[in-house]
Amino acid sequence: MHLYLPVALTSINILIPVGLGLAVGLLSGLFGVGGGFLLTPLLIMFGIPSTVAAATDSNQIVAASTSGTYAHWKVGNVDFKMGLYLLVGGFIGGIVGVQAIKLLHAMGNADFVIKITYILMLGIVGVYMFIESLQSMRKKKDAPEKEAKEEKESAMGRFLKSLPLQTRFEKSGITHSVFVPIVLGGFVGVLAAIMGVGGGFLMVPIMVYMLRMPMHVVVGTSLFQILFTCIEVTFLQAYTNHSVDFLLAVLLLLGSTVGAQIGAVFGRKLKAEQLKILLAVIVLVVTVKIVFEVTLTPTLLLSQVGGH
Amino acid sequence: MPEARSQKPEFSKKLTSVLIGIVVIAIAAWAGDASAMLTARANHDHITIDFFYHGSTVSIRGISEPGTDLVIKITSPEGHQVLKQKGKVAGVLWMNVGQLKFEQTPNFYEVFSTKKTEDILSSEEMEKYVIGYPALAKHVEITPVANEEEKAKWFDEFVKFKEESKVYTTSAGKIETTMNAEGKQEYYILTAWPYQAQPGDYLVSVYAVKDKKVVEQAQSKVNVEQVGMVKTLATMAKNSPAIYGFLSIGVALGAGFGVSLVFRKGGGSH
Repeated sequence: MHLYLPVALTSINILIPVGLGLAVGLLSGLFGVGGGFLLTPLLIMFGIPSTVAAATDSNQIVAASTSGTYAHWKVGNVDFKMGLYLLVGGFIGGIVGVQAIKLLHAMGNADFVIKITYILMLGIVGVYMFIESLQSMRKKKDAPEKEAKEEKESAMGRFLKSLPLQTRFEKSGITHSVFVPIVLGGFVGVLAAIMGVGGGFLMVPIMVYMLRMPMHVVVGTSLFQILFTCIEVTFLQAYTNHSVDFLLAVLLLLGSTVGAQIGAVFGRKLKAEQLKILLAVIVLVVTVKIVFEVTLTPTLLLSQVGGH
Repeated sequence: MPEARSQKPEFSKKLTSVLIGIVVIAIAAWAGDASAMLTARANHDHITIDFFYHGSTVSIRGISEPGTDLVIKITSPEGHQVLKQKGKVAGVLWMNVGQLKFEQTPNFYEVFSTKKTEDILSSEEMEKYVIGYPALAKHVEITPVANEEEKAKWFDEFVKFKEESKVYTTSAGKIETTMNAEGKQEYYILTAWPYQAQPGDYLVSVYAVKDKKVVEQAQSKVNVEQVGMVKTLATMAKNSPAIYGFLSIGVALGAGFGVSLVFRKGGGSH
């Protein structure tokens, strides 16, 4: 059955957005990523104008991350304190990133910087996560009883501990200076604004590797932070660009809210390393897809203004 | 009498010129009748878009002078469009390298003809009536392009982009023609109306063609309009963006919580 989308001005088979929503919601519940980096290009592939695809995507992430955050909160996997500090940083970073992208547009090489940032960030994050989780899986096999929690204290770790305003994050069981999540959140905010994505796939590894949070708390906290980011983005997109398609969002969220719940249930059954390696594989597949995209001759040399 | 005689030729002269005048007017009227022979009527000329709209069909029929070929052009009003342009960076990477502005361009352009347009029309006539892609290429202004060769390349890309979106097409041989009982030629075409065509007014121009020239023209209109909830939502997104934004967020939050509660009632699992 087809439905006509009033803002996208196109007709779509309802199974497509519901199915895509379900798949992306599943990833969201599993890994704590919004899934914008996957869903937006898929929607464009199915004929949704790029501006509408990006904006509507953030609207449905609001639904999926509400559902996901709720599911993780129920089992005590959301560190609200950490989430709030990251949000503050992300908000400031977003403003800086938007200015940076304006400057790049004025200099005329915005697209080049965006694509290269995308490939580098995805590539580095994907490879690092893949190798790291593979190593820790092996470690556990060698010494199954030994918890790999006690990591050797690196120079970076010592530096982080020397920063002022140290505070305890009970839920995650860690202590950090308040500046650490704010600065890291800001860094993700800058990149997310430049790349035009929510930044979940960057935030998750940062929480795991730099903040040393337990993987299951990372997923819930990331979703909590994504929820607020996407509420802001949805409103701005609707208000300034008139590009949110309400009906498309409803179709997507029909799938994604259910997917997020299923993902959260599955996530609890998987080990942290398994989750990390799965996310690493998805990130690497997307990286390879983008590399192909920029190296193979495109079929169409013109595209609509807006979106990626 | 001589006066009367001299008046007679005067009178007959006047009569002759009046008669010639009548004949001229009659010929003109007859010619006028001939040129008014072409008619065009679009059925389903008011297409309404509701939630279940997935495109439509439009049929155009009319009468034309026997022996004429026909060209039917359906266009949206001309305007300007801006598109992102891809190019190679550093010799290997395909990126968006800028924007191209297309002026005097219809968003929708369909041409149907009884035979290939270049076989039945001279290039001057095609250009005059903007029939066919080569004529449209000359009509459209593209900026910034360095030269004619580059303009031609980007126009081809533009057509490819529009054809992909189903809003540009040209095809020959789809128009059916038959002779009716009164010895007039009837034509008919049934064409699929793509759902990608945006709401608005579309002009249907029918050209009767003979000896490589357009000899008659007739026009009709197709109106595409959003109705009901589709119209309400589209209008709200444009005119009340803040309310629309809050509504979108509210529904998303509600749906997220709603599904969570359903899952909890369903037993959850942990």
